[in-house]
Amino acid sequence: MLVLVCGGIFARRAWFLTGLVRKARPSDRPGTEAERAVAEAEIVLGQRKLLQRLVPGLMHAFIFWGFLVLFPTIVLAAIDVAGGGDHTPVWYRDLADAFAVLVLVGVATAVVIRKIVRPERFRGSHLGEADFILAMIAAVVVTLLLWHHVGGTALAWAHLIVIGAFLAYLPYSKHLHIATAALNVWMARTRKRGRLEPLRFDVPDDELRFGVATIADLTRKEVVDAFSCTECGRCQDACPAYATGKILSPKLVIMGVRDQLFAQSAEPIVGAGVPEEMIWDCVTCGACVEACPVSIEHVDHIVDLRRSRLMVDASFPAEAEPMLRDVERASNPWGKPQTERAAWAAELGVRVLEPGDPAPEYLYWVGCAASFDERAKKSAESTAKLLQAAGVDFAILGPREGCTGDPARRMGNEYVFQAQAEQNVATLNGQGVTKIVASCPHCFNTLANEYGDFGGSYEVLHHTELLAQLVDEGRLAPVAGAGSVTYHDSCYLARHNDVRVQPRKLLNVIGQPVEMERSGKKTFCCGAGGAHMWMEERGTQINVERAKEAAATGAETLAVACPFCTVMLDDGVREVGAELRVADVATLLAESLG
Amino acid sequence: MIVCFVEDDELSAQAVGFARTLGEVRAVTFAGAYQPAAWAKALAAQEAEAIVAAGSDRGNELLAHVGALLDQPFAANVTAIDGDVVTRVRWGGSLVEEARLHGAPKLLTVAPHVHAPAEFDPEVLEAVDDGSPKVLERVEESSGGVSLRDAKVVVSGGRGVGSSEGFAIIEELAGLLGGAVGCSRVVTSAGWRPHADQVGQTGTKISADLYIACGISGATQHIAGAKGAKKILAINTDPEAPIFASADYAVIGDLHEVVPAISAELRRVRG
Repeated sequence: MLVLVCGGIFARRAWFLTGLVRKARPSDRPGTEAERAVAEAEIVLGQRKLLQRLVPGLMHAFIFWGFLVLFPTIVLAAIDVAGGGDHTPVWYRDLADAFAVLVLVGVATAVVIRKIVRPERFRGSHLGEADFILAMIAAVVVTLLLWHHVGGTALAWAHLIVIGAFLAYLPYSKHLHIATAALNVWMARTRKRGRLEPLRFDVPDDELRFGVATIADLTRKEVVDAFSCTECGRCQDACPAYATGKILSPKLVIMGVRDQLFAQSAEPIVGAGVPEEMIWDCVTCGACVEACPVSIEHVDHIVDLRRSRLMVDASFPAEAEPMLRDVERASNPWGKPQTERAAWAAELGVRVLEPGDPAPEYLYWVGCAASFDERAKKSAESTAKLLQAAGVDFAILGPREGCTGDPARRMGNEYVFQAQAEQNVATLNGQGVTKIVASCPHCFNTLANEYGDFGGSYEVLHHTELLAQLVDEGRLAPVAGAGSVTYHDSCYLARHNDVRVQPRKLLNVIGQPVEMERSGKKTFCCGAGGAHMWMEERGTQINVERAKEAAATGAETLAVACPFCTVMLDDGVREVGAELRVADVATLLAESLG
Repeated sequence: MIVCFVEDDELSAQAVGFARTLGEVRAVTFAGAYQPAAWAKALAAQEAEAIVAAGSDRGNELLAHVGALLDQPFAANVTAIDGDVVTRVRWGGSLVEEARLHGAPKLLTVAPHVHAPAEFDPEVLEAVDDGSPKVLERVEESSGGVSLRDAKVVVSGGRGVGSSEGFAIIEELAGLLGGAVGCSRVVTSAGWRPHADQVGQTGTKISADLYIACGISGATQHIAGAKGAKKILAINTDPEAPIFASADYAVIGDLHEVVPAISAELRRVRG
């Protein structure tokens, strides 16, 4: 009877939920089975992402590990109530008791966190629901302990009734994650983290999809993302937009999508579930994705929502329009003449690849910022000088290098991005390029992770990677002298592409590194990503926030490895009036050679 | 028959010039308010081997609509056509692309200033007002004084100005020169001036004869809005400021001294 009622309630909801997944569009998140298995072991069994925060992490791990160990008690209690008596072996009873106590410790810690500490990350979450779930967890283990130590079929019944009720409640609550988190981790990308799923425009009309307008457009991964959110708010805590007072909370985006899904709404998600401003506040830095314990990929949701707003409704922040037009018409986001793209390189005698020329060992992909921006040009000049000093065979494309399309793509303009991608891939392939060194992490990400979808597969290095290799090989011999340096990780290097070691390796040789609190994978955006370089920012500025953090280290130099970070942080440093020089790692390295 | 959409301007005359190289041309236009979706519907209904327009904002918008209505490809900014092969300009003129234009009728717009203009006497087509968006009236943004976009002189202040009160000397100089006051993004972010005063890619693009940039470092976005100016005078204490790379005249000094000195000199010269 108990099994029928609780199981029935559970199954009815499970049928509804799996229906939502079946109806969703297929998703395409790169990874191999082996990598996914490793992710399961680390993130689910090992609780790696939860343990990024020690106390709440252990709190959760105790409860999770406890429940894994306690599973057999359901069978044992069922045997008891069926009249078979209590067959629990003594060793298992002791083990189960120990873990039951750990679960209670976990629940008590959770109560302290939720009722006394009350961290900001819970703002907007359903707090009452969480309290009820904690009470249920406590009831499950308390009835177990009572059954073990007081004994009697009645207590076994109590234990089973609590579990049955919990099971029936679970899929209707945010606690659903215990059924979907492992699936979500399995479905998440394990490689090419910075890659967005391309939209296909060459498909029959009824399969055409311009991002996500309503729940009917969601991909399977997006649906399972929405199911898996526990409203823990770690994403919100990590979000630079939220931290500087914007209305964006990645948590509320996912909750908004989920609410629309559960309501079977036909309304546009933007407006009905997620406020418009939220999706445009995002800098696509991925801090939320990195923080999420259940591998929700928030950036994909936001870009998909942007795609629909921009391409279908033509509704987006007006100030970004000149950038989009300039990328499309002039192939650089500032509308500069392409003929001036290689002007910085003329004096240095850098080879500009002409059609028909043999391919160099490395094609140096300069990027628009380092080609046209006065401050960012220094990085290109330094990189070129270093490659020349090390005797590397390299060349640039000059006027035939076009914007990779990254800002257009992250803004949601997939058309413009794909036009740029096709043109650039044609140029690179036509030239027989196999290896690329890129200065801009955004170009680097696009070339390495996204152009493969458009027929362009290259071995792509960031300039800090190649320079570190040249130092290792003894082809460059830098000397110390840069003084104290703090390094700002670019999101598109450190987080989306795992490049953290090489720039530090170089800085270790030439200066005394001091780390900021938020570094490596936990870096804090400069504020320029996701096309925000070309958008206005309301309220506290992200770059100012970051410049303050850098200045607080007391370092003389703020080293960067991205032209956008250079410009944003240089502005930020001026704004706070700090005595801090902002310079690219390549520039510092070039100076150290004398 | 080649149908060529025209307006009363030079680019349309060039488009007709180009269209004549393809065959007999019927120049057509519309009366009344610009209504792209409705006009495109009327154009799409014409019997034609090709529908041509000038590569202007309007021409491109109309033919994009026609392309969508007829489900046919559209080539913009074409310089030449030979059978199916069109040559067209992309990337702001730095890339010339050869492409095949399949489709009937052929839809294309003509790159400006490539073909000689030709005389035309257009036939006025009827467009049915289908309730789609149309231009009802044009309202010029009024900023009280001279508009930033059209001003002959723009005097702009940046972070170096220091405060909203600091703009008094900028306003004074702009007043003496009969120009408009502008500013950089930092200034609007700080709330010293309204966004309407912002010069740059995300603000107003100016086309002044003289642009005076005071205490502006010269972010690329800012320069993108100022590049329409014929001459740029930059005043900045930092000789490394990027603005100097784009400036025709440079004063390395404190704007709080330099700007009042210029104003004083102007007053003296004018007696």
